Amino acid sequence: MALDHAPGSHVPGQHPDDIAIIGWAQTPMVRHTDKTETQLLLEVVTDALDDAGLTRADVGFTCAGSCDYVAGQAFSFVQNTDAIGAWPPKRDSHVEMDGAWALYEAYVRLLMGDEVDVALAMGSGRSSTADPALIYPMEMDPFYLAPLGADALSLAALQAQAVLAAGAVTERQLAEIAARCRRDAQSNPYAQVSGEFDVDELLAEDAVRAPLRRHDLPPITDGAAAVVIARAEKAKAVCENPVWITGIAHCAELHYPGMRDLTRSLSARKAAEAAGVADGPVDVAELQAAFTHEEPLLVEALGLAPTVTVNPSGGPLAANPIMATGLVRIAEAAAAIRDRGASRTVGHSTSGPCLQQNLVCVLEGGRA
Amino acid sequence: MTALTEERLIGIRSGDRVLCPPLEWDPETGAELAHDFVDVGPAGTVESWCWVAEPSEQHPLAHPFAFATVRLDGADTGLIHVVDAGRADAMSVGMRVAPRWRAERRGHLTDLEAFVPGEDPVSGGGAGAGEPVEMMGYNASIAYTTPVPDNVVRSEAAAAEGRFLGLQCPICGRTYTGGRGYCPVDSIALTAEHEIDLPQKGVATSFTIVTPVQYPGQTETEPFARVHVLLEGTDVVLSYQALVDTPNEDIRTGMRLAPVWASAAEMEDGAGDTREAGLIGWIPTGEPDATDPDLVNRLC
Repeated sequence: MALDHAPGSHVPGQHPDDIAIIGWAQTPMVRHTDKTETQLLLEVVTDALDDAGLTRADVGFTCAGSCDYVAGQAFSFVQNTDAIGAWPPKRDSHVEMDGAWALYEAYVRLLMGDEVDVALAMGSGRSSTADPALIYPMEMDPFYLAPLGADALSLAALQAQAVLAAGAVTERQLAEIAARCRRDAQSNPYAQVSGEFDVDELLAEDAVRAPLRRHDLPPITDGAAAVVIARAEKAKAVCENPVWITGIAHCAELHYPGMRDLTRSLSARKAAEAAGVADGPVDVAELQAAFTHEEPLLVEALGLAPTVTVNPSGGPLAANPIMATGLVRIAEAAAAIRDRGASRTVGHSTSGPCLQQNLVCVLEGGRA
Repeated sequence: MTALTEERLIGIRSGDRVLCPPLEWDPETGAELAHDFVDVGPAGTVESWCWVAEPSEQHPLAHPFAFATVRLDGADTGLIHVVDAGRADAMSVGMRVAPRWRAERRGHLTDLEAFVPGEDPVSGGGAGAGEPVEMMGYNASIAYTTPVPDNVVRSEAAAAEGRFLGLQCPICGRTYTGGRGYCPVDSIALTAEHEIDLPQKGVATSFTIVTPVQYPGQTETEPFARVHVLLEGTDVVLSYQALVDTPNEDIRTGMRLAPVWASAAEMEDGAGDTREAGLIGWIPTGEPDATDPDLVNRLC
């Protein structure tokens, strides 16, 4: 949501309902870990609170994003609450979505303005325990998509073909996106895939699901992330450089991809408008573009200028911890401000087939 | 789905548009649509496609094929389905395709086996369902490979030897069973250095009598009991435990219990149907019941 008093109309942090990101953490992103999701979360919750200079006792609300289908276990999130710290008691919630949506719920919880002034959002997933291409059809509608084994890779490839056929992008440009992300990921200590790649060599490889080649796809990743947010007074009291959330919104469109114009992301555009992306210059955008063709589509939908640095972390093509990938984008967008001097950034997350649902979060540092 | 058994494809009117596959609601307004169905196809135009060189077990064809978005003649939206075109270079955006029907049709999306290049549908022969199709089967299976945490490995190994392993939190002193690798109160990892052996004595803190509903895998036929057992020296109950040789009407909270472990020979046969390997269940010791309100009727 874009707040009435924001964005642009006041200095972030001056209104008691302003909410800031004050700490975050992520695990190293790896192809496989023997650690449980709870163990992964135990680490990132501790580290994110350390980063914020707080303890578990300071947290009033927690929200986790994870997926039973990925875990292969019903109510898998219940044991993950062991990572939160049951004492003193705190309010807790769960979303069967990326941790970015957990952050959204935590943000809304803080807006209630009662005694809760610190909240923590988490996302965790261990994709290595099964083949994601077999998992995701089970999440599709059971009449028209699931019986076909309509996996995420095939649906993404249908969208890629539509984008290529529309002339919005070329296969070479997609390979260039992959090469750029992997190059940028070399400076990201958490990245799983990084290095220098020759675009011609990438293009010479066979398609995995034509028109998509291996470099167009995200890696299979195990990992978790956590982000701590606080209301204005608390944020300023405990943190020298809070990163203010000046707009956050999400929007969904039809589940069935055949009913949509796959060359556009209407819901990403609406979410960006509601979050106020266009209300000021953007330095850095961290986009959950897990497939190369999603990047130009999202850049267009969010209305990002050519000057915007996209996914300097390497993005999901460098590490794709399902259920944490979007939350990592928001943490990276916050890090661009606090740790690398950007003034206004965007974090984005998506869910559902072919960018069905999109969440956009605008972040700003404190203005002098 | 009934139309599929008759080798017909239908769409639904939504304002000026025809949606195929039919939705229940108007995509723009969310309003429920009148059941105004119209025949579409049988041929259509490929709007997008991708090539599946290595089909998975969940895909409808075992040989390479294309997934495609097909806009059927008379429809305004794309039906996602498969095209059996033989090779990827036979596919293109704008190509014309028509359905190939299965001989055995049951009111399922895959009654339409695949689209094939061209204008002419390929009949599977036979008749329609005769009656409206009201149920549709969809089966899926997936295998997961999950690493077993160290604490669980050690806990199961102890149980196989007829021992309960506890993990004691160095901060709050609470003791947990079952290989729980963290103190949920203090949120610290509990590892081998926090292990202690626990006594073989427990108290029934709560119980339930389950009247079995027959479902695949259910072997119980008569009402059976499940008991929460608080092991002496621990802080969290062992939930949903079985009793051995104890009539349901004799069960009460506060009852003192002892574990019944599988013998070495039974372990060889894979005995132990609870989560503690080797623990068959619990049996009353005959000692006087516990009455401490901190023990009796606690839930966890």
